[in-house]
Amino acid sequence: MSRDLLHQEEIRALVREAYGSVDSTSRAVAEKLYSQEELEGVPAVALDHALGVGNHLRYASIEPGGTVLDLGCGSGIDSILAARRTGPTGRVLALDFLPEMLERTAAAAVEADLDNVETIEGEMEAIPLPDESVDCVISNAVLNLSPRKARALAECARVLRPGGELCLADLTVDEDELPPEVLTHPAAWAG
Amino acid sequence: MAGALTERDFVKKLERAGFVEIEVLERTPMGIDDCALFPLFTDELLATMRRLIPPQRLDKIAVSAIIRAQRSQVLFPG
Repeated sequence: MSRDLLHQEEIRALVREAYGSVDSTSRAVAEKLYSQEELEGVPAVALDHALGVGNHLRYASIEPGGTVLDLGCGSGIDSILAARRTGPTGRVLALDFLPEMLERTAAAAVEADLDNVETIEGEMEAIPLPDESVDCVISNAVLNLSPRKARALAECARVLRPGGELCLADLTVDEDELPPEVLTHPAAWAG
Repeated sequence: MAGALTERDFVKKLERAGFVEIEVLERTPMGIDDCALFPLFTDELLATMRRLIPPQRLDKIAVSAIIRAQRSQVLFPG
């Protein structure tokens, strides 16, 4: 039902505006989700703007030499952590539809001395990558932002190699929905 | 949060997209205090949520789920 309360383009615009204007200097989210050991050496720009809801990377099969797609990379904390695990023979493709986020991810990769992070501007419902070109797709608090989730998931399947892995953290809700006043609040679509 | 699916719908969409071996590995309740950590939740939205969501639900407004799945060997066979 909630999908019908706002139109797709309205949702996209709300998400774009909310995320584009985020300018956080709090590490509360990063410190809640990741261990101190994991955060060691992660640049401040990635720590300060972390907006994930879980640490899915603990479960992700990220292998040295592998190709990982970070769907909705944000300011890049998961891309940095994944790039350490793929090593220099692998790569992380950090996808986001906001240039501001891609700039942060690129800056974080440079500061972390990682040259295996490639930023890509694009939408999760139309991933600009070839079929079966990725070993693992990771994503953190991103799918809930899509007004076309079935399409976004189909795109994940298309770009993954057969047997490839999707590992994500995201919000789910119970059957009894939130009040309409909350569901139609612009900030609720981004938060 | 307004666009979040139920876990059941999430799994169904994964299956329809061509994923198998779907596992929900972690479920962490997310309450109003967790929401307040995120700059995306404005003060106005938080106040609206406190006003409209029953107090007994404020500790579990949503769930942070970690989900893992494999892409099937063949997408949409036949």
